[in-house]
Parts: sequence; structure tokens; C-alpha cells
Amino acid sequence: MRKKRYIIFGLLIIGLITALLVYNYIFNSEHRDIASEEATVNLSAEDIFTQFQKDEALATANYLDQVVEMTGNITSIEDNDVVLSSGVQVSFNSQETLKFQKGEQITIKGRCVGYDELLELVKVDQSTLIE
Amino acid sequence: MKTKSTFTQTLCMLLLFVTTAVSAQKLIDKKGKITFEASEKTFEPVKATNGSVTAILNTETGEMASLALMKGFRFKNSLMEEHFNENYIESETYPKAKFRGKLLDFDYSNLGENTTSVTVDGKIELRGKEKQIKTTLNIKKSNGSIIMQGSFKVAPADFDIEIPSIVKKKIANEIIIYLDFNLQSK
Repeated sequence: MRKKRYIIFGLLIIGLITALLVYNYIFNSEHRDIASEEATVNLSAEDIFTQFQKDEALATANYLDQVVEMTGNITSIEDNDVVLSSGVQVSFNSQETLKFQKGEQITIKGRCVGYDELLELVKVDQSTLIE
Repeated sequence: MKTKSTFTQTLCMLLLFVTTAVSAQKLIDKKGKITFEASEKTFEPVKATNGSVTAILNTETGEMASLALMKGFRFKNSLMEEHFNENYIESETYPKAKFRGKLLDFDYSNLGENTTSVTVDGKIELRGKEKQIKTTLNIKKSNGSIIMQGSFKVAPADFDIEIPSIVKKKIANEIIIYLDFNLQSK
């Protein structure tokens, strides 16, 4: 009789812990870590820019929220952002832009956020430098 | 006859000068900030910030435009961010919010280092819906750029966003949107 009570008590505790873990997993889960994710596509900054200009809806379906790796020449630098090949605005997480120079060719990995038709730029955030 | 041609010449030059001066009057912010908050007391804050909003102001006409990509809004809670994108905003289908409007009675030359209140009137487009917005912005000049700050309210229903009844208590009916732009000549 006493043994049974222990078992029930034990099961209740295990149940409670699992419930807490599941709750924590669902409601307090970490944000995506773009830097550690594998890129789904690898292309040039010009290429992704032309695709967005040609057919924005299609390019949005293909690249939105995807981790992309791209290569391009730096055409402008501002704070934590650089513009690659006058077509893609890349935002870095850290002060990585300090060591860049205009005209330099770099390869980055980041998340595609969409196309900004006011500036005519594809936007990429949470970027890290590959080389 | 001679004087007339020199007169036309000067006029042409003057006109050319004026037109180039006008076309140069665009101030741009590539990294403007928009924060929205729809928090209810006692519940977890419903709040997100986008730090790469575009804003363009034509100082000659007072016309302005702004664009925010929805995926650029970052929440503290990743699940909330997912729900915002997938269930409410549907950012795959409607990836951006746009604003087009005009500053009323705006005179760029009168703008100084002190904050001036300026009314802006325009339309926000989001999820294929348009909503008229009229609000007061605080504007001032600072080191050659213009700082523009303000806030306004919208409702989820304005853009046909349905909030399911289970979470209705946790999301405010009125959403406050704060904007903070630093416009520079490029």
C-alpha cells in the first residue's frame, strides 16, 4: 500500500517536470541563430538583386527568411551596414564593418528580410562575414 | 536684341540651378527605428522593434515615404515573433508596410535645433489595406540631419487582422507605433 503511494507520488513529480520543460521549450525557446545555420543558397549580390527586381513575388517566396550566402563588392559603408554591389544592404550583428573598405569583395551569410523598393535594395540582416 | 538673349541665357542658367537645387532636397534614413507595442497589463509585453526602416523626406515639398519590412521586426520572445509573422501579419504574403504622406505647413528653412511640432497626413498600407494616419511629429535639425520622432495608434482590425479569442486578453486593442528617424542627405 505504501509502495503504491510512492510510485504515484514519483510519477506526479516526473509529470510535473516534463510539463515544465515542454512549457519552457515552447514559450521561452531561443531565437534562430543565423550564424550557426547552414546557408540554403549561395549566390552573388547582383544575382539576388536582379531576381528581386525582375519578379519580386517569386524572389520573396524563394528567399524570404532564408539563410543566404552571397558575394559582392562593397559600394557603401554606414554604421553596421554595408551595401554590396549597389543592390543588397547587409546588416551585421557586430562592429565588423570597421575593418572593411569600399570596393573590397566580401562573402557574407545572413537572413534575407525582403526587398525595399524605396531604396531599391534587397535587405539582409543578422549577417556574419565568411571571407 | 543682344540684351534679350543674355537675359534668356541668365534665365536658363537660373532655372537649371533651381532645378538641380530642388532635386537635391531629399533626405534619407536607411536605418530608421519603428517600435510597436500592444501590451496588456499583467501579461507578457507584446512589443517588437525594427531597426532598418527606410524613410525619405522631400524637404522642398514636405512629402515623405517610409517602408518597413515585416520580417525585420524583432521580438524578445521567439514564439511571439513566429506568431506575428505566420498568423497575424502573414509576412510571406505581405512582406512590408508602406507609408506615404505629407508634412503639413512644413517649412524646411524655418526648422532649427529646437523641436518643432509638425502634422503629418498620409496613408499606411499593410496587408493590402490602407489606413489614413494623421499625427504630430517632433522634428528638429541636428548636425545637418533631421531628427523626426512621433507615435500614433492603429487597431488590428484596421488591417483585417483577426486576434483569436484565446489570446485576445493578452493583446491590446490599440497598438501604439513609435517612430524614430534620423534623415540625412546622401
